[in-house]
Amino acid sequence: MCPEPPAELRLVVADDHPIWRDAVERDLAAAGLTVVGVAGDGEKAIRVCTATQPDVLVCDLQMPGRTGVEVTAAVVGLGIKVLILSASGEQADVLEAVKAGATGYLVKSASAAELIDAVRRTAAGEAVFTPGLAGLVLGEYRRTEFDDGAPRLTERETEVLRLVAKGLTSKQVAERLVLSHRTVENHVQNTLIKLQLHNRVELTRYAVDKGLAE
Amino acid sequence: MVLWSALATFLYADARRRRWPLLVADLALTLAALLSSIWVLSRASIDAGDPTVTVSWAAAPVLAWAIWGGPAGGLLAAVAVAAADVVERGTITQATTDGIVLLLLGGGVVGYVVQLARRAERAVAEAAHREAAATERERLARQVHDGVLQALALVSRTSADRELAGLAAEQEASLRRLVSGPASTPVGELDLASLLPRRAAVELALPASPVLLPAAVATELADAVRAAVDNALRHGGTRSWVLVEDEPTAVMVSVRDDGPGIAPGRLEDAERDGRMGVALSIRGRVAGLGGTVNVVSTPGQGTEVELRVPRAPG
Repeated sequence: MCPEPPAELRLVVADDHPIWRDAVERDLAAAGLTVVGVAGDGEKAIRVCTATQPDVLVCDLQMPGRTGVEVTAAVVGLGIKVLILSASGEQADVLEAVKAGATGYLVKSASAAELIDAVRRTAAGEAVFTPGLAGLVLGEYRRTEFDDGAPRLTERETEVLRLVAKGLTSKQVAERLVLSHRTVENHVQNTLIKLQLHNRVELTRYAVDKGLAE
Repeated sequence: MVLWSALATFLYADARRRRWPLLVADLALTLAALLSSIWVLSRASIDAGDPTVTVSWAAAPVLAWAIWGGPAGGLLAAVAVAAADVVERGTITQATTDGIVLLLLGGGVVGYVVQLARRAERAVAEAAHREAAATERERLARQVHDGVLQALALVSRTSADRELAGLAAEQEASLRRLVSGPASTPVGELDLASLLPRRAAVELALPASPVLLPAAVATELADAVRAAVDNALRHGGTRSWVLVEDEPTAVMVSVRDDGPGIAPGRLEDAERDGRMGVALSIRGRVAGLGGTVNVVSTPGQGTEVELRVPRAPG
């Protein structure tokens, strides 16, 4: 289903647990992907990404130094796509990372095949929308429903997100709503982009209020 | 009196002996000494207003009682000594009144101050204990997070044995919840998300913040969700998805499976021939909470059971 990946994908893996990092690196390499750098803490992750300009950063959330959310915010500015690989039970942090610009999220217990598929899709610019992520995004729009200036979901987008959160594949969503697969993907993508844009506006406003920017 | 002073000083020094027998003995001895004044001195001397044998010595057991028994103990001892004093003199003079007032004041105030000090000491000890427990918990959580959790996640990911992988994933999730500790919820409320089944075959889609409901409602709804999940997995589904949506006026939970689904028109038949028996019992449970259940089935896309429970206004 996913578009043809670029000839050679270059990746960076950031995680503070060496055993885990090595396992992920091995799986990615076995699938023919090139890991151009690894990092065990947030500072190093940003340095390695700046130096190697990978297509995708596969990033843990809890790292010493800078957190996965901070690293995400720093590297998306460099045009690098971020796939969050998080342990279970870190929903709030996952949501922050997504708002900071990550386009995918996978739990650490996902299989190697799922990971590789997710990396390819992230590199191709697709959002890796697991049901868990759809649930988080739906919840965030609900939470800010009555806030001034907060983004809103269209009825269609809500419909699509709810079906994704219930575990339907985008093909199944397309069938059910009689839409094209591409349209479904666009709706899903839009819900993320709106959140990320709003987040950037909020951060800028915060910076202005604090006198950190003009 | 000198002997008893020395002995009492020695006896009071040990905390194990600082109990009621010693206190009673101390008070009794003091009262005896006070009452003996009439023989030791003379009736005339006492009547002339001379101090009793014990003089201010009589205040010592009062203070001891106050320290031991708080304001109540101090006042009791003060009343006893005062009564003995009055009995001894047979009349109440200006001097005895002064003495009695001072004794009562001393017994009460010292007792009260001691009680306050004890409470403060206990509060400080409790706070220190709580802090130590929190620090220890954090240390444990860090260790478990860095070691066991990573290993379990790795097993669940790389194991070719599906059962083992599923088990590792479940244990990882439950251990993580354990070490991260229960999120603090208002008294009488529970986070619905924390009560939902965590199994490898069940994928949860939750909002980032806790879904708070009155404890009884949350427990009942979670039971209904568990029944729906069990039912889904029993009837041809291999996986189940649970979506929780927290709306201002209601909480929605939908449970979907990847089973064959039920063809249009067949849903009522299915309910009739008992295949949806469990669904009916779920309906009963949710109705008890003032909510509704909606079953939707799309051929090829499994069956969805939607539970909607209203939030109590206010």
